This record gives sequence, C-alpha cells and structure tokens, in this order.
Amino acid sequence: MGKATVIPFGPQHPVLPEPLHLDLVVEDEVVIEAIPQIGFVHRGLERLVQTRDYHQFIYIAERICGICAFGHSMGYAETVEKLMGIEIPPRAEFLRAVWHELSRVHSHLLWMGLAADAFGFESLFMHCWRLRERILDLFEATTGGRVIFSVVKVGGVTRDISPDMFERFATTLSGIKGEYNQICKAFLTDASVKNRTVDVGTISQQAALDQCMVGPFARASNVNNDIRALGNGAYGALSDFKPILDSQGDCYARVKVRALEVLQSIDIINELIAQIPAGDIAVEVKGSPALGAEASNVLEQPRGECYYYARGNGTKNLERMRMRTPTSQNLAGMTTALAGCDLADVNMIVLTIDPCISCTER
Amino acid sequence: MALDIDFLPLELEELPALAKRKKKAGFRFVQMLCVTTQDGIDLQYSFMKEASLENYTIRGVRPGTKVPSVTETYISAFVFENEAHDLFGVEIEGNLLDFGGNFYKLSEREPMTIISPAQKAAREKAVQEKAAGEEAAGEEAVGEEAVLEKAVASGEQQKAAEANDAKEEASPQEAPGLEKADRTAEANDAKEEVRLQEAPSLGLEEQAAEANDAKEGA
Amino acid sequence: MGSFKLGKMTFGSLFKKPETILYPVQTRPAPLGLKGHIQVAIVDCILCGICMKRCPTGAIKVDKPAATWSIDRFRCVQCGSCVRECPKSCLAMDPNYAKPQTQKSIESVSKPTASESSEEEKAAKEALEAKKAAKIKAALEAKAAREKNLT
Repeated sequence: MGKATVIPFGPQHPVLPEPLHLDLVVEDEVVIEAIPQIGFVHRGLERLVQTRDYHQFIYIAERICGICAFGHSMGYAETVEKLMGIEIPPRAEFLRAVWHELSRVHSHLLWMGLAADAFGFESLFMHCWRLRERILDLFEATTGGRVIFSVVKVGGVTRDISPDMFERFATTLSGIKGEYNQICKAFLTDASVKNRTVDVGTISQQAALDQCMVGPFARASNVNNDIRALGNGAYGALSDFKPILDSQGDCYARVKVRALEVLQSIDIINELIAQIPAGDIAVEVKGSPALGAEASNVLEQPRGECYYYARGNGTKNLERMRMRTPTSQNLAGMTTALAGCDLADVNMIVLTIDPCISCTER
Repeated sequence: MALDIDFLPLELEELPALAKRKKKAGFRFVQMLCVTTQDGIDLQYSFMKEASLENYTIRGVRPGTKVPSVTETYISAFVFENEAHDLFGVEIEGNLLDFGGNFYKLSEREPMTIISPAQKAAREKAVQEKAAGEEAAGEEAVGEEAVLEKAVASGEQQKAAEANDAKEEASPQEAPGLEKADRTAEANDAKEEVRLQEAPSLGLEEQAAEANDAKEGA
Repeated sequence: MGSFKLGKMTFGSLFKKPETILYPVQTRPAPLGLKGHIQVAIVDCILCGICMKRCPTGAIKVDKPAATWSIDRFRCVQCGSCVRECPKSCLAMDPNYAKPQTQKSIESVSKPTASESSEEEKAAKEALEAKKAAKIKAALEAKAAREKNLT
C-alpha cells in the first residue's frame, strides 16, 4: 500500500503535445486522479473584438489555433452572417466545405503522426507527416497559405478554385489514399501499437453521455453527436453521411475512428467536387450588426463540435464573440479517463482526446 | 434537417431545476458563456439534443450575486464556471471542481470586464437612443387616446416614461458593473490612448475623443 | 511480434524519388497566388488611405501631406485585405516571401510629386500653344495680305 504522491506533469514535457498542466496523484505508478490546469496560452483574443471591426476580426479568429485555423474562420464567418441575416452564394458554401474537409484530413494526419510519436514509432510519424505535406501543398496552391489561409471573409470566400485545380485535388487525394492504407494497417494491426492502446483509458458510453463529450473522442464510445449529419450548408448535399462510431471506448478505438474519418473525408471531398455549383463566390457586406442581435452556430471541427456566439451592439465592432472549442468540453472526459491508468499511459490518453489548448483558452 | 436555434430568457433561481429537466430529457450541455453589459453580466447556458440547440440567457447578474452551479448535473461545466469566475468575476457556488481562481493564471483580475473606449462610446450611444425612443413613444401615446382618459393615462405614461428616462440616465452611473469598467477603463485609458495613437485611424480616436467629452460632460 | 507492417513502404522508398528537395541548392518555384509580400505601384496610388483603414494589424501607414506609403513588413500578416480594397488596384501580393532581416524596419516609398513633371509639361504645352498661335497669326496675316491684294 503506497503513499499518494503528486507529480506535476506539463506544461512543458517531451511527450506532452500541448501546454496543459496536470497534477497527477499517483500511488505506486497508478494514477488515482488528475487535476488539469490551463492558462498558459491565454491571449485574450475574445477581448480583441472590441478593437477590431467584424471584417478584421476574422484574421484574429483564424489565428486562434494553427491546426483548426480554417474551422474557426469558417465558423466565425457563418455566425456573423447569421447575425446580420446574410445569405452566401452556394458555390461559396461548397468551397468552404471542401476546404474544411481537407482541413480535417490534414488535422487527423497530424494527430496520427503525433500519436505514433507518443508511443515511439517515429518512422510512422514521419510517413504520416509526409502525406500531410501533400495536403499542405494543395492548400498552398489554392489559398496561398499552408497553415493560415485567410481565404474566408464575411460574405463568402475570396478565392475560387478552377476545374484543373479540382483535378489536381482528385489525383493527389487518390495518391494519398494508396499510401494511407498502408499506414492505417500499421496503426490498426501492428502488435506493438495494440499493446499500447487496447484497453487503455476506457470510457463507457454512459460516462461519455454524462460528461457530454464531443467529437471523435465521444464517437469512439458510441456517442453520436456529429453535426455534419444535420446537413447544414453544403453538407446537406451529401447523399449519405454516416458518422463513424466504435463501441470499445479505449485508445485503440479513438485511433481507429480518426483513421477511418480520413478516408471518409476524402470521399466527401470527391463527392462535393462532383456536385459543386457554378456562380459567385461572395456577396458584398455593408453595415453593422443591429443592437442586441444575437446569433449562435455550431460546426463540426476535426476535434469535435465547436460552438460560436455573436452579439452585436449597433457599431462595426461586435459586442461579444465567443468560441467554445471541443477541447474545453472534453477536459472532464479526459480527467475521468486518466483515473486508474498507469503513469506511462498518461501521455497516450491525453493525446487521444486530441487536445488543442490554444483553442481552449483563446 | 437543419439546426434549430432558440434564444430563451431564464431567471437565476430556475437554473438548477432547468439543468435537471434537460438532463432527464436527454439534452447535453454545450457551453456556458458570459457577456459584460452595462447592467452586469449576462450568463448564457446552451443545451443541445440532436437538431435543436436551446440557449437560455440570464440577464444582468450583478457582482456579489451567487450563481448556483450546474456541475452536479453536468460535470463538464466546471471548465466554463471556473473560466467565468476567473475572467468575469462571477461568483458561482457549489462548483464540484472549483479551482478558487487558479484555473487561468492571469496577471489582471477579471480582464474580460474591461471595455475599450470605443465600446463604451457605443454603449452610451445605445442608451441615449433608447431613452430618446421611449420619450417619443410616450408622446405618441398622448396624441392617440380620448380626452379625459387621455389626461389621466397620458399623465401616468409620461410619468412612467420619465421614470424610465431617469433610470436610464442614472443607470450608467449607478451600475456597479459599469463603474468597475469605468475605473479599469480609465486606468487603461492612458495605455489605450497610447495604443490608439499608434494604431491606424480606425475612427477610434474620434470615438475616444467623444467618449472623453461625454465623460467630462456627464 | 508479427511482421514488419511498414515493410512495403520502406522498401518502395528505396527506389522512389525522395519526397524532399535539396534546399537551398534546389528551390521550388513559389506557386502563383502564394501570400508572400505586398508590392505597391506607387505611381498609381492616390494616397486615399483606405488600405490603412482596412489593415487589421496597422502595418500600412499612408501620409498624404508627405506623399509616402509605408509598410511594416513584420506586422503584415499577408491577409490580402488591402489588395482587395484598393480603389486603384495598385497593391499586389507578390508570391515571394519577404527577406529575413536582423532588425525590424519600416519600408517606405514616396510618390513622385506632381510639380516637376507638370512644369515640364507646362513648358511643353506653352511651347505648343505658342507655335499654334504663331501659325494662326501667320495664316491670318497671309489672308489679310491676299484680300488686300485682291481689292
């Protein structure tokens, strides 16, 4: 019977992917409970709404996070469009959805590389990021930036994609698919990977529902709350969208859900490209949001469901802009998953919730 | 099926009962946010089930009012309640995972309650427009009704309008939330003005000048 | 232990072209539309200041009395708002990144003032008009002389 020791973990740690601080109460290498603490990347971005008008704030919203950059700019633009009652052309909706799904592919590939690195499989990490480079090249060719795109504006998008570029999308994505299947095989059938992930950090479906978890983290515990199934925007044009669910609830299930979501996203992109309508890509937006007007919006980002809220005050600056990111909702789930695990599994479990602490504390 | 979004008002006392009702109905907790306004802080709780998103807003929580926590029903709310306490100064009691102000490591207390001069000017303008709107409404009512009843009713309405006006004019000065914002905004004004001069002329300088004039005048 | 799952990929990469290039010996041409840095065609600029108002970071400063347009390259986030909002389309996004520097500096261009050119133009115009006037005068005198001769 050991004594309880408190080990501080983070914010800087070689295996920890994000600046999160955990106080692990440990008894003989078994974690009894974990107390999270954040606040290391707080930049007060929501307060900047008071000094930048709603057209300029989109550039700040993008820079909340490097991985979810497109998601935040799209969510912000959609919320302000709802606030001011603007309808954007359908081609713009499709373009945003294509870029968003591509963003999901790049985010999941990045995450899988980090997961491989977390259990020491560095060559797999390098292969995942090598494939991700091809996606970044697609972004660079269509939007002009690799990580921060600045291609969405309130009222639509600023750049169009030509049909030859869409063909290039199709070839690149099919090229990625071929090599990606081999990487997936390494993730899902390799014995050493299974050793590190099966039955680690299990969360039952009931616990997932109680803690209102979101995203692939919840879908691995058989909780379906995928916003894309609601068919907002261009997602309504998809013929058949079924979220990928898994009922095991352990780290292996989360890896599997994300790995399969990449393939699903590639299919979605091909389907959207085939159906994209011709037309304008933006509408001119003038004026300011009305006093007291409020709007809210939800978006399925790679990490889960992200909630946006905007309130106007009659001037060009918004009164309040709020982005509630999926990781802040999943922190409770992470704390539960960490209880009762081995000390060596802590970083694996923290990684499988796909933390994005820059999003959690803007 | 598209998303169904509702904004509904809520009273502070009904909050725990609402959370329990929603949990039973199968809603999940989405988020809790705070907005700094002139009459205190607005809290908004959101619940979602399949395609319907419901937002409940509690308006005007003054500093010192204790807000009951929903963490007994929805444990994942602890993140937002700690954030509300650290960034906005909302006092929440009963938080199962209360960090006591140490969740966010900040150098300034309650930084989200500070408002910039531009936003302050916008709020004052909105208050004046509202007062002007109510005066106009009072006078119109006078013109529309019958003679004797008119005299009585219009007298009452005008008194009510005047009472409202007095309240509107007094509230910017009296609301403790805004006072704190005033104090901190003044303390930051020197910083803000330096920053404003460096920043491009987004019209902030004119608005800051107007806000300063209004402050001196009032 | 099982088989080597990445065997096929590893074996294949022995024979395929490497994914990387020998930078800086080889460089990849920047794709068109890459957000590199802002260029201004100062001759067309009317110093209206709209780019300064729209810039979200305050990187651009337009000084109308001094006729200069300056940009702080380190503050610019290459968003492209100024390029879209310029009424005379004199701003463009060049695909090459700005060169790294050891110190922050502001790059300033002056618009060539109108006085020098218009003085030359004025002189040229005056000369032209003087020539025209002289021609007309000569023609009138010739006509008068002809009429005098006729009568």
